[in-house]
Amino acid sequence: MRAARGVGSRPAWLAASLAVAALAAAGCGSSDNSSSSSSKKDSKTTKTASGTPAPASSYPDPQPAVKPRSGGSKSPIKLAIMSECQGAFGSFDNQNMAGAVSALSQFAGAKPKNPNKPKDGFTGGAIGGHPIKLVGVGCGDDTSATVIKETRRLMEQLGADVMVGPLSGDESIAVANYAKQHPDKTFVDGSAGAQDTTLKVQAPNFFRFNGDGAQWNAGLGDIAYNQLGWKKAAVISDDYSFGWTSTAGFIADFCAAGGQITKRVFPPLNTTDYSSFAQQLPSDVDGTFVAVGGAGLIPFLKAYEQAKGPIDSKKFVGNLFWGTPGQFEQLGPRVSGAYIGGAGTAGDLDTPAAKDYANNIIGKWFKTIPPGGDAAPQASSTFTYGYYVNTWGLIKGLEAVKGDLSGGQKKLQAALAKTTLPAPYGEIKLDDNRQAITDVFVQQLYMKDGKLAVKTVAKIPEVDQTFGGTFSASTPAPGRKFPGCEKRSLPWLGKSQPVKVVG
Amino acid sequence: MAVRNASTLRALRLVGRALLVLVVVFPVVWVLFIASGTSFGSAVSDPKDFLITLLNGLTAAALYFVVASGFTLIFGLMRVVNMAHGAFFLLGGYIALRLQRSMVGGDSGVGLSSAQVSFAQWILPLVAGAAVVAGVGLLMQQLFLRWNQGEDLRQALITIAVSIILADQMLGIFGGVAQDMSWPASFDKFIDLKVAGVQYTLTRLIILGIGLVIGAGLWFWLKRTRTGMVIRAGVDDREMVSAMGINIQLTFAIAFLVGSALAGIGGVIGGSFASLAPGVDANWLLNSLIVVIIGGMGSLGGAAIGALLLGLTTNFAAAYLPSDYTFYAIIFTFVLLAIVLAVRPLGLFGRPA
Amino acid sequence: MSAARRLTSTPDRMVGAGLVLVALFAPLIFSEYWISTLLTQMLILGTAAASLIFLSAYGGMVSLAQVAIYGVAGFALGNLTTTGNTKGLNLGWAELPALPVAIGIAVVVALVFGALASRSFGIYFLMITLVFSVIANLFFGQVTKVSGFGGISGIPIPDVISRTAHPERLYFVTLAVALVLYALLRYVARTPFGLTLQGIRDDPVRMSSLGYNVSLHRTLAFGFAGFVAAVAGVLFVWWNAQIAPSTIGLSATIDVLVIAVIGGLFRLEGAWLGALVFVILNNYAQDVSFIGDRFHTLIGVVFLVIVLVSPNGLIGLWERAIAGRRRSEEDVADERRPTELSAAG
Repeated sequence: MRAARGVGSRPAWLAASLAVAALAAAGCGSSDNSSSSSSKKDSKTTKTASGTPAPASSYPDPQPAVKPRSGGSKSPIKLAIMSECQGAFGSFDNQNMAGAVSALSQFAGAKPKNPNKPKDGFTGGAIGGHPIKLVGVGCGDDTSATVIKETRRLMEQLGADVMVGPLSGDESIAVANYAKQHPDKTFVDGSAGAQDTTLKVQAPNFFRFNGDGAQWNAGLGDIAYNQLGWKKAAVISDDYSFGWTSTAGFIADFCAAGGQITKRVFPPLNTTDYSSFAQQLPSDVDGTFVAVGGAGLIPFLKAYEQAKGPIDSKKFVGNLFWGTPGQFEQLGPRVSGAYIGGAGTAGDLDTPAAKDYANNIIGKWFKTIPPGGDAAPQASSTFTYGYYVNTWGLIKGLEAVKGDLSGGQKKLQAALAKTTLPAPYGEIKLDDNRQAITDVFVQQLYMKDGKLAVKTVAKIPEVDQTFGGTFSASTPAPGRKFPGCEKRSLPWLGKSQPVKVVG
Repeated sequence: MAVRNASTLRALRLVGRALLVLVVVFPVVWVLFIASGTSFGSAVSDPKDFLITLLNGLTAAALYFVVASGFTLIFGLMRVVNMAHGAFFLLGGYIALRLQRSMVGGDSGVGLSSAQVSFAQWILPLVAGAAVVAGVGLLMQQLFLRWNQGEDLRQALITIAVSIILADQMLGIFGGVAQDMSWPASFDKFIDLKVAGVQYTLTRLIILGIGLVIGAGLWFWLKRTRTGMVIRAGVDDREMVSAMGINIQLTFAIAFLVGSALAGIGGVIGGSFASLAPGVDANWLLNSLIVVIIGGMGSLGGAAIGALLLGLTTNFAAAYLPSDYTFYAIIFTFVLLAIVLAVRPLGLFGRPA
Repeated sequence: MSAARRLTSTPDRMVGAGLVLVALFAPLIFSEYWISTLLTQMLILGTAAASLIFLSAYGGMVSLAQVAIYGVAGFALGNLTTTGNTKGLNLGWAELPALPVAIGIAVVVALVFGALASRSFGIYFLMITLVFSVIANLFFGQVTKVSGFGGISGIPIPDVISRTAHPERLYFVTLAVALVLYALLRYVARTPFGLTLQGIRDDPVRMSSLGYNVSLHRTLAFGFAGFVAAVAGVLFVWWNAQIAPSTIGLSATIDVLVIAVIGGLFRLEGAWLGALVFVILNNYAQDVSFIGDRFHTLIGVVFLVIVLVSPNGLIGLWERAIAGRRRSEEDVADERRPTELSAAG
């Protein structure tokens, strides 16, 4: 029974040699660190004596920038990217990096290291003569606990000056709160869509050039009410802040147009069996809005089919989880025909800017984005686009101050607040809470060559975060009961524009 | 374990009875006759939704049983708490998923509809998934667990380490996006039960059938065959079985093989009924733990009762708690579990080792 | 039985004193990031793991509920002290009065958990405490009044130890707390209560027939360990300014178990040693190019190897090294083995 003596036996020796290998690997890690902790000291010196040329050894990149700007001997801008490599969104890591690296390549003279693997980062790149140095890429897992740990590693250990990211809702609330405590660093969002991040936290140094989860669903309620003819609807959503925010956008829009919400169902995250929740969706409504996402969407749809039969696409609308490239293909033909809210992107838009973005920007700098394959079709993923516009916004802000980070980055932050982007899917400007005011799109799923595909059906211009006063700093955060259902006028109601699409 | 005196015992029994009334009788009365403020209302007023919820509970229980029976088999014989059981579940599902998509052909990154899938394209992946997982389980047992017999904590820790490694490797290989197996077209239809106008999906009835077949098969194997008898003897007295010249190591290996295969089968069914994604492994490990903790670890009958309780509780709690409280359905399940354990520390059918 | 006596061997004392010295002068040796992040985190996690090791080494109870109790204290503090947040109760108390209340709530929860689990032994104890941990996680995830899935952010920190202004102060506070709690845990182990607890660990039936109330002792021990975990939880919240259900999820629960096992489940010192290894691995593994994103695999492999090679963790390796040939084999293997869970029943 007492096997502590197993040490002498053969498997133990096998294990011991494994241990040596593993510890050697860990050792590599810490020796890696010794170089990064020395670069940490560099960051201290450059911070205290900014403007002083840093020693040349702190530029590990042998290649000069593609378009060398003036000088090249100024202090580097230390950039961190907070991406995601674990958890439900772990496979969008390379989309995040493709967006960020393409922006740096397009606008700051960088060059991807590997056109088939965005995660490898970039070489070169400079703004106002200050070279851009990527100090690290964070690995989030969709939890606020990990994102804070990783943000610290990037900002404090690796000494980053500015950070792009994170990917998802609750993470961004945590990062915005972190930003508040570190006013002399600057943060731009990645692709996270929680409403609180900007509306409630209001960190003066956190900027978001993408819409939030509610904005992304603007116009969807209008379509459900006026085109699908829904008068009464039910909603079913993941029981956490992103689900509530996404649902809030639909409810605000649908009720503003005149609709009624008669039932709200909130299955907990990680529900195994959705059948009882599907069963509860009433049959006396005209349709249902679904904001169940991540690992739950397919089980919910299957549970619904098994409870009530095939899905009638005229009686369902979905949120971005129904249309994110790399994810929605898994839904299969069952949802063809349904309208969806999307995530402020429209990959099939027939405008020069949109085509240029897919083919001559993302498609120019990258051939493939693993694991999804060809790069250009993934340009319209919110995870690519979000990191692209946010990184671009940061670059424009840095250009405006010529890369000058002195004075606690206050000049940069002032410039960022005024930045507008002529972005691929429409102009983006920031409101007083440093939150994007942006065009969003309503899309529809259809079958193309036997596969599920997405087409854009309408553009909703200049959507802002407040939904005509439905949401403000003093209202509760979107939740199980908020917002209620009120008919009101929204700035964009009735202004949805038809769009021309490719194919 | 007689570490309590008579008066506390008596008090505990009283508390136990009171709790029993609270936990069993009240919910039944509530669901049947009251259920005010819920989505469906009471069973008497809405027998159709009640019957569907009941069937949902029973069919979910069948799947819980399939997965948990493998877990309890391994524990019963070897005292190994296999914390990698959830990872085995997910692995079996992923292997079958890949195989099904390559058998059907076309783009492997695209979800299938049941119309495209034949019975063979579902059952062969199931067999393959179960076989691979059985092999992985056997490998883990032979490499790491065999020489640590009798040290249950250390073995549990080893399986935790294995599950961490497997989960991370699966994320690397199969990605983080949720994917699902498709049922074959022949399963994907509704059956008219001719009771209260209920049309019920055949897929879930098939899950129930598989659960019953596996349960009966395990029962027959353990009670009626020689290997089964050795296993049962081994559960009671391992040393004696070895002393009688029976190769107990072979028996252990067989039990681990079967127990792991059941996790794999569960994964394939689970992947067809819901989806496969990172995190699903932890959910199913928890489900299995709950089932065997309620029923008593190592007891097959206990696993059946535990699965039934879990399946019914989750489904009824989600539908028959007042609308403002359905969010707490999961907590409700776990509180039930804590109560069972407080009253019966070894579970309903557990007995000391 | 002889656990307390063995701790006093001379090499142990020398190394221990040396390490405490290093810890005291760490701010002169290590970078600011190491002090304010890695070492502070190590001390907090180590303290939480020490509460687990205390239960395991002296009570024979391997608990997976320590992280849950740590979380209860953290969430309580978060609810008591925040204002104007969108999540939680926002009671807006000052930090210092909130401190004992938060710890008190956590200790009460620990006593309830302990009472419920006090009749379970061995692997069953592990299971029921795992259930507690899941309940706590789900409770804070689902009950949006007190938290919700996203957790509570922006929890205020007393100005004197504000991490941004004085990174080394929080480190010293955490170090002092860890040392005091370490001394307290060792002291309690040697009181009559502690000795009874060890008796119960070794033979609950005999202790019961000698007239000791086994359940009561185990419940009180669980409550006391809960106090230690609660203090760690409060420090965590002050260090992190944020707490979420994922902070106390299944993987966090397993992490603290991993820490305790890497260090060694039978000696309190192992907690901080294990935490150091864990924190360093966690922080640096992803910088190793050939590991990259798959650094969880490396953590899993290291954990597996330690469990296979040295069931008594790194402290066990150290003991074997210094014991050399002087100590007989029996002595190493037989005593202080809380891992003998099969003794239950």
